[in-house]
Amino acid sequence: MLRTVKPRNARSKRALEKREPKAVENPKTCLFLRGTTCSQVTQDALTELHSMRQPLAKKFTKKNAIHPFEDPASLEFFSEKNDTSLLVFGSSSKKRPHTLTLIRTFAFKVFDMLELSLDPETFRGLAQFKTKKFAVGLRPMLLFAGTAFESPVANEFTQAKSFFVDFFKGEPSDKIDVEGLQYIVSITAEETAGEGDAKPAIHLRTYLIRTKRSGQRLPRVEVEEMGPRMDFRVGRFKEPDEATRKEAMRKARGLEERTKKNITTDSMGDKLGRIHVGKQDLKELQTRKMKGLKRSRDEDMEVDEIEEDDTKRIRQ
Amino acid sequence: MEGKTKLVVAVDKPTPYTFDLGLLMAEDPNPIVLDHSSIEQSLAEVARDGAQALINQLLSTCPLSSTKEGVLLSLPPPSTHLPREKPVPQAKAPTKWERFAAKKGIKPKTREQRKNLAFDEQSGEWKRKWGYQGLNKKGQDDPIIEVDMQAERERKEGTSVRGDNRRQRKENVRRNERMMKKNARQGQANGGKR
Repeated sequence: MLRTVKPRNARSKRALEKREPKAVENPKTCLFLRGTTCSQVTQDALTELHSMRQPLAKKFTKKNAIHPFEDPASLEFFSEKNDTSLLVFGSSSKKRPHTLTLIRTFAFKVFDMLELSLDPETFRGLAQFKTKKFAVGLRPMLLFAGTAFESPVANEFTQAKSFFVDFFKGEPSDKIDVEGLQYIVSITAEETAGEGDAKPAIHLRTYLIRTKRSGQRLPRVEVEEMGPRMDFRVGRFKEPDEATRKEAMRKARGLEERTKKNITTDSMGDKLGRIHVGKQDLKELQTRKMKGLKRSRDEDMEVDEIEEDDTKRIRQ
Repeated sequence: MEGKTKLVVAVDKPTPYTFDLGLLMAEDPNPIVLDHSSIEQSLAEVARDGAQALINQLLSTCPLSSTKEGVLLSLPPPSTHLPREKPVPQAKAPTKWERFAAKKGIKPKTREQRKNLAFDEQSGEWKRKWGYQGLNKKGQDDPIIEVDMQAERERKEGTSVRGDNRRQRKENVRRNERMMKKNARQGQANGGKR
């Protein structure tokens, strides 16, 4: 636990304010770090993921004696020190070769963890594909394919999906340039053959998108692999406990726009309003004038007198 | 799968895709069976179909706007709920004064109340509440003043009914200052905490 510091000048105060809890949060930053033993393949995978995550990423190069599932204390320390709520930890041991551990934190405590073991045979980096590369910080499109990701109960695959969405969503924006739809990250899990079978591998592929004129309004899409290419097997995982999950899933109040009553927009984009008209007084309705229905002179006189009285009072 | 001469843009799947356009995400809930002899080919086909479906959905449902920077797509807010990284900020705790005011039902003064003007019923004019010819000095210099016999008996030596109003006002000011200092002293002793 870091000691809480009181800012001594305006600059450090601004820096602290940036990392305070907010109703609308900053985009999550991701920290990449390695354990004491880490194979070259795993290190390369960390580098590839880091380059895809730029500029919201940090990377450590030194070795860290951390075992996330035994003692995540130093991960929590790093998370707090660097204000990163996503961590990717690479390590390789005889028992668990080429392992990437995906960690999310909530309030600088570990929220959930998932261990993925990388297949060293099929791993390919970005540089191994001779194609055009995407610009730094460009938002990818995401595709999750396979029934495993659709599981209604939380398991390794739904957690992996949730993590990868968090990982690849980048900076949120409500507008996007059509030219910016350049690449897609496709994450596929194959169907298992039968019950009690080994869990399917997760295939992470990145493709460049090429659009062709199709003669219709919508273009024909073709894909070209850009890298990196990674195949994972799921390993251990730690689910968030129920109280933390509830706390983390809470929405800040007062953010959603209140729907204005009685205002609608029709299909043409015109704004329509429904207003309330007071009850009509039919007594005052001017009907056809007839001599017989005229007010009598006496009534008129009385009204005049009262009015005169009123004016006198005001003068006094 | 598709003919080369006539380019097909529609994607047919037994179960339709689900989209979260705010995150530029598509989900393909169909069971995937890969051909293990050419696994990359089949993965690319899955990705192509997904990309086509996603782009179709984006271009057909999101409003487009052309600007100088390019053609912009307006995305809906994301519907997938992801965990926060830090807790929802807490509302600030009310100060001691705020709690006291709420208990007593004290509201902040209105613009009218803060003005040094009040309507004098007697003269039917607007007059100052304090200061020169203020309403708090009303009646103190009248030629005839009603005397309270009880107060007259307990009167201090060397005073008369003539300065009573002013003496009372000065005493109030002194009392208020005394209280202010006492509160400040207490606040200091607590170290600025409540």
